[in-house]
Amino acid sequence: MLSRSGELTARRQRLIIVSLIAIGLGFLIVVQLRSQAAVARTLAAQDDTSVALLINDLNRANNQLIQQSAVLAEQQTQLHQALTSGGADSQALSKELTTLREVNGAIAVHGPGLEIRIQGPVMDFELQDALNNLRNAGAEAIALNGYRIVGSTPVVSRGDTLMVAGHAVGTPLVLRVIGDAEQLGPAADLSASSLQTRVQVSIQRMSDVAITEVVIPRPLIYAQLGR
Amino acid sequence: MTVLASVSLATFLVAGAAATQFRSQPLPPSNRLARAEALRQSANQLEDQNRVLKARVQALQADVKAGEDESARRSSAAQEVKAQLDEQKTVAGLAPLHGPGLTVLLHDGTDPNSSADHSLGWTIHYQDLQDIVNVLWASGAEAISVNGDRIVPSTAFHYAGVNILVNNASRLSGPYTVIALGDPPALANGVGNPDQLAELKSRNRIYGLGFSWLRSTRLSVPVYDAPFLVKYAQPLG
Repeated sequence: MLSRSGELTARRQRLIIVSLIAIGLGFLIVVQLRSQAAVARTLAAQDDTSVALLINDLNRANNQLIQQSAVLAEQQTQLHQALTSGGADSQALSKELTTLREVNGAIAVHGPGLEIRIQGPVMDFELQDALNNLRNAGAEAIALNGYRIVGSTPVVSRGDTLMVAGHAVGTPLVLRVIGDAEQLGPAADLSASSLQTRVQVSIQRMSDVAITEVVIPRPLIYAQLGR
Repeated sequence: MTVLASVSLATFLVAGAAATQFRSQPLPPSNRLARAEALRQSANQLEDQNRVLKARVQALQADVKAGEDESARRSSAAQEVKAQLDEQKTVAGLAPLHGPGLTVLLHDGTDPNSSADHSLGWTIHYQDLQDIVNVLWASGAEAISVNGDRIVPSTAFHYAGVNILVNNASRLSGPYTVIALGDPPALANGVGNPDQLAELKSRNRIYGLGFSWLRSTRLSVPVYDAPFLVKYAQPLG
């Protein structure tokens, strides 16, 4: 028969053991939940093909970022040199301005690329997909039937009519694209292969494509500068 | 007896939790598993490198901007060019913006687990984001971002396997938040128009795919985190 103090000690020991087990259990549950969440977020849950394709895209993006860094570093050096010699480098500013005008579709441009002719009716989403594929392949300037196309140019169908930037466009659709023809070619082929079951598509590589159409930027009414 | 029972129960639970934890750890390496592991390690390293490069680009951009500001202070010719440059930067997404607008929320629905349905209609595809962005531009949006990535003139959405990528390989994962600055009623009418995004709306009903929108008086879109590189297009004339 245990004494009263012995019984108390045994009860305390049981309490300590149960508490320790509860703490251990709680810890394991938390680790388990966190590791499951981490697995879901990371690449571990993805198939090998997805990861391989992601690697391909990351390599391409990183190479582009390295080139962009080099351009910026050169711009930085030019600006610093001009500033330390007591002047101002408006030439560097003009160069950057030209690049942005090209990107925004605000000036006429020319360069190597493709002309894609689509004979037959296409839906808005088909044209959007084609434009998306071309941009993804590095298209630097695009025009369609007399309209310059940039990322913010809406393409919608109103009944059987295709509207680009609010203007109706009819067939044939002639897309002129400037960029690396080696990259643009497969992107155009991809779009053509899905369209060719219904409409006629011809793709021509060109050493010089001229795009004279420009986008007139809309003034900001609702958006304001700043965070 | 009671002590023995509680200790046994607790030991059983601890062992169960430990076993589950062990199962969530990588399995012992074999050639195939080692290759898969190496592939994921490469992707993680490249994503880390991508973040470092973007940070470097941003630091350089800030430095160049400071130099441009200083140039503009020193010369009236530079000041004039700088004013035009700032205007073009705003159009190109190289300036942060805020204002009223619309937030569109999207998330995957429920997998029907049906042998008759292999459509993957319950998931959000890159084309859904592309369609929403297009409808928002058509409804007068002045600036758009998707999950914190600014939509710029050169933006393209695409798949790399199951990953949706945008702007320099930024991996987008659900839930997706599309923010558009502009007139909130006009943007909401555009998205709500029964003739627009009809397929997405039907998948919302069939698979419980999340698709909702909310008007706001103040939203913000971040700056595009990289400069533009133009290699082939040259100014005409």
